[in-house]
Amino acid sequence: MQATLKPDVATSSAEPVLRVEDLKAYYQMNYFGVTREVRAVDDITLTIQRNEIYGIAGESSSGKSSLIKTIAGAIRPPLRVVAGSVRFDFGGRTLDVYDDPEAMRAARWRHLSYVMQGSMNVLNPVRRVKHAFHDFAVRHMGLSPSAFRARVEAHLEQIGLDPQVLEAYPHQLSGGMRQRLAIGLATVCEPEFIIADEPTTALDVLVQQDVLALIKDVQMRLGSSIIFVTHDMTVHAAIADRIGIIYAGRLVEEGPTQAMFERPQHPYTAHLIASLPRIGDTTRRQSLPGKPPNLADPPSGCRFHPRCPLAVAKCASESPPLLPRGEGRVACWRAGEVAAA
Amino acid sequence: MFSILRDLLRFNVEFLVGFVLTALIFLFAAAHFFAPYPDTAIYLLPPDMPPSAEFWLGTTSRGQDVFWQMSAAIWNTMTFGLVVMILSRIVALAVGMLSGYLGGKADQALMTINDTLIALPNIPILLLVYFVMRDQMTWPLLAVTAALLGWNYDARLIRSVTLSLRNREFTRHAVFAGMSVPQVLVRQHLPYVMPVVFFTAMNNLIWAIGLEVTLSVLGFSDVNRPTVGGMIYWANQHQAAVSGIWWWLVFPIVAVVLLFLGLFLLAISINEYIDPRSRLSRMGG
Repeated sequence: MQATLKPDVATSSAEPVLRVEDLKAYYQMNYFGVTREVRAVDDITLTIQRNEIYGIAGESSSGKSSLIKTIAGAIRPPLRVVAGSVRFDFGGRTLDVYDDPEAMRAARWRHLSYVMQGSMNVLNPVRRVKHAFHDFAVRHMGLSPSAFRARVEAHLEQIGLDPQVLEAYPHQLSGGMRQRLAIGLATVCEPEFIIADEPTTALDVLVQQDVLALIKDVQMRLGSSIIFVTHDMTVHAAIADRIGIIYAGRLVEEGPTQAMFERPQHPYTAHLIASLPRIGDTTRRQSLPGKPPNLADPPSGCRFHPRCPLAVAKCASESPPLLPRGEGRVACWRAGEVAAA
Repeated sequence: MFSILRDLLRFNVEFLVGFVLTALIFLFAAAHFFAPYPDTAIYLLPPDMPPSAEFWLGTTSRGQDVFWQMSAAIWNTMTFGLVVMILSRIVALAVGMLSGYLGGKADQALMTINDTLIALPNIPILLLVYFVMRDQMTWPLLAVTAALLGWNYDARLIRSVTLSLRNREFTRHAVFAGMSVPQVLVRQHLPYVMPVVFFTAMNNLIWAIGLEVTLSVLGFSDVNRPTVGGMIYWANQHQAAVSGIWWWLVFPIVAVVLLFLGLFLLAISINEYIDPRSRLSRMGG
């Protein structure tokens, strides 16, 4: 089955599956002659390896969703790509998202699938679940109707759903079941790359654990890479191999999960991690002063400097580059001094 | 489908009355296939006979049996209404869904046409078409003209539904998964829009029948083909009201009023059924 489905995929490739270079995507709006530009994705460079779960963290309106929409090529005006490139490598075949939209269209769902924000609602409320599978996946799999049905049923069983749900309408299913179905839909074609935008945010903690285990399980079985977006650091701790922290449209720190939780390099990351509750610890959590910057008019220099406890004069004038440090990368003039603060 | 019908008949008096009325009128109209006289023939029978055992609803001054004339007339009028309804639903669906889904320039262009048609009065346009076409004016042509005037309000309604569907997750997912615009519209949005279309269809049917009767009463149609309006037209031509041939006028008018009433009751009860809240309050689950 595997061989017939993916003839063009080499089993082992050292090439990273995704390369994002100097990506800039801005919301450009023109109201009554006044042009406003919101720099939601500003100069982001990152790579994602095969078989890796990459977590993207950041507060609301930091540009997380804009970043992954841009990576998926699922953007609509006013969001536009201003500079940079997004390249996928599907088994030796390189695909540039913005150079070759036609090939990209064919690759979607087959090689690259998407679990969207509010993905509990991906199922059309007036159609049976089986129609969603048919609409999304059948053209990518090239199977006869009965073989397709058998495959979908086998897939549903693997993710712990009774194949009878195919005959149900979405309103007859629970939230957790719908979330499982959303993940089932995204993985039925066994894509190499899965984009998950807050797939667990609307769920309670128990169902969330369940769904995270499911995602991890599917990822292990398929060997896919996942880019996983949530503001919930505990979810990242549970699932991500590497984490990228986004602040005001920029990647400020990136590194392996374990290292980041133990030794955050960027003061913002340090605050995020310090804000997590720990069992037995009753000290009051410190909140960051100020509020997230307006991306239409971001602060000069390092965008975090107005809220940063370690800020010096240089921070306000010069923007720090994202440089390798330790096991990851960090963009801070005073990186490494965090532990002392 | 069958259980919906059963529930409606059991719980909804308006639907029951409307259903029975419409069904009876439909049966009466279907009876014209068994008529003893050809429906366009005139001066076959003794004229101006009042209702009697031989001629149940009397005869006209043109020597036709009112019962069989009316049967054929209602059939033709209903056919006209249905054709207008189906044609105008197709236009309304296409325009409304494309306009709502595509947005931007396409939306502006389609809605400009739509709003222009809303602003223009229908009857004068139909009269103009009739005066231009004159003898070539057949009922299918009139139906097409009426259909082209009857879609605009409903296209706006369908557009507004599609506008909200466009930003739902399932639409964005479908687009991401590579479904084309026609596929998204037909497979994802059409099932959602269908109940709205169904309700507007009933309203449109009533409107189309009213339009046909109006034009025929004025003589702006093929007057030799029996229709409800056409019967009233000929009754007026022969001064039926003045010369006491009341059965020639009263029966077609009563028939068309009953047809309107039946369709109207069907429309409001189906509308109530489509809205889950009012349905549940009536049926209790």
